[in-house]
Amino acid sequence: MSTATMERTLEDSLLLRLRVEELLFTEADLLDSWKLESWLALFTEDAHYYVPPSDVDGDTATPDTSLFYIMDDPVRMRERVVRLSKIGAHSEHPRSKVRHLVTNVRVERDGDIIRSRSSFIVSRAKDITHDLFVGHYLHEIVDQGGELKIRKKTCVLDMEALRPHARISIIL
Amino acid sequence: MALTTGIINDKERAQFLVPRRAFTDRSIFEKEYEAIFNKCWLYLGHASELAEPGTFLTRTVARRPILFTRDKEGEYHALLNACPHRGALVCRERHGKGRAFMCMYHGWTFGSDGHLMTLPGSSGYPKGFKTDPQKQMVHVPRMERFGDFFFINFSKDGEDLATYLADAGDTLKLLGEHSPGGMQIVGGTQEYSIRGNWKLLAENSFDGYHAACNHSTYLEYLGNTKGALGVDPLKGEAVDLKNGHAMVEYTAPWGRPIANWVPIWGEEGKKEIDAVYAELQSRVGPERAERIAKKSRNMVIFPNLVINDIMAITVRTFFPTAPDYMEINAWALAPKEETEWRRKFRLYNFTEFLGPGGFATPDDVEAIEKCQQGYAVGGDAQYNDISKGMARDGAPSFDDEAQMRAYWVEWDRRLSEYEA
Ligand code: FES
Ligand SMILES: [Fe+2]
Repeated sequence: MSTATMERTLEDSLLLRLRVEELLFTEADLLDSWKLESWLALFTEDAHYYVPPSDVDGDTATPDTSLFYIMDDPVRMRERVVRLSKIGAHSEHPRSKVRHLVTNVRVERDGDIIRSRSSFIVSRAKDITHDLFVGHYLHEIVDQGGELKIRKKTCVLDMEALRPHARISIIL
Repeated sequence: MALTTGIINDKERAQFLVPRRAFTDRSIFEKEYEAIFNKCWLYLGHASELAEPGTFLTRTVARRPILFTRDKEGEYHALLNACPHRGALVCRERHGKGRAFMCMYHGWTFGSDGHLMTLPGSSGYPKGFKTDPQKQMVHVPRMERFGDFFFINFSKDGEDLATYLADAGDTLKLLGEHSPGGMQIVGGTQEYSIRGNWKLLAENSFDGYHAACNHSTYLEYLGNTKGALGVDPLKGEAVDLKNGHAMVEYTAPWGRPIANWVPIWGEEGKKEIDAVYAELQSRVGPERAERIAKKSRNMVIFPNLVINDIMAITVRTFFPTAPDYMEINAWALAPKEETEWRRKFRLYNFTEFLGPGGFATPDDVEAIEKCQQGYAVGGDAQYNDISKGMARDGAPSFDDEAQMRAYWVEWDRRLSEYEA
């Protein structure tokens, strides 16, 4: 490979990573500010949102054969957002203060899919409780006419258990 | 009549009151360990979790680390997971395959049945040391099996498991009958905590009264999802299963993979559900089949095992580590032979309602934690009211509180007996 080609490849992958980072940071920002309808708009029509439990290999497990914490299909993702907009979603009323930190973003192309792997810490504070969720995200992203959309988001918790949290009532 | 624990059970005035210190008092919490957790049969695990000889798992039961093993002959053992040498945890893995357990401190190594196999530096010890009973891992005093459910008891004497379970045994049997080929725990454990007293979760697990308010968003979600609702209304009764165990049993509009079809499952799904129902009828008879398929059940086996056979089956156990904090483990139970399609729907059903990420459990958690916070007011606000349905003629409704009263009466009996 000539130096020129190498530079172009490097440029391409840097550019791709910047685009993906922009998407992930936007996502984090929307979740932190509870703009859940806009958050939903970042996903494709056939998107899924998963949170596996701590005692399976979260990178490879599937919710069709293992019990997950969350295995949302598009219908349920929408319903989750609808539910969280209501005063009857007691667990999030009044709404908790949420902060998503997303770092160590790695991106690779896999055919038409862009796979991203990143680290997260999500902080949730509500009345007398303050909990941290620590783990890594696996995002499957597609380019829809120049716009990046998320087709699948898996939040793998790098934790031994969901203690003392008790709930994932926010969106990770 | 005022009971020793301060519970007021006044049938004449249809009043059942539980003092709030039952949830906050440190000395009551300590007594509960002596009088309840060290005396009652406690759920350990399901046979399917150790499907093969030579497998093991570790689990904390009522604060004690337990090593649950199956030896090469297929026998099950429940061992206190501590080294007889200096007390270190012997097995530090959550589950796996292996027939020898080496303590990482000085290398004492034990078999699946807890016997000391290898003693490094044995020349430093007298003859007979290695076979001294005190140098072996200690078995939990009693372990018994009811169907595929294993229970342990930290007390050497007391009634056997079947007697203890009383009428709850039949419901456990009924769960086994969901399948011609046996039930299994699906991989994946929901492990969480609640910052509230453990008895609040027992109450909440079969509280039929709170659904309409606490779970309004879940019920609306079912309403929003086209075809998610069947024809059956929420209706049923509370059943006292004796010895503090109780359940509510009722019809409900949600789909059940065994075998209550809802439109969202489509015509293909209907065929499969019909076949499941037909098999069930021929195996257990029409009456029992209808009960298994069409009725939902929320059962609490005293003191800390919940089995909710609702839109999916959850097996949930919990124990306190402080008056205001408990740890919970929950699993999904399913027929072994279930098709991919049904298994998928079962887990989809499970996660829609149950667990930390569901559309209902987080609001239960909120309710439990807010109760615990509320108890801090102290002063004259001393009692919880558990009297709903006491004045009713006939069978208690599923949304009354008779099932909770059965639980509290047993709780009171155990503590009073311990004090006497
Ligand atoms: S503590 Fe286990 S070998 Fe010493
Ligand atoms: Fe509930």
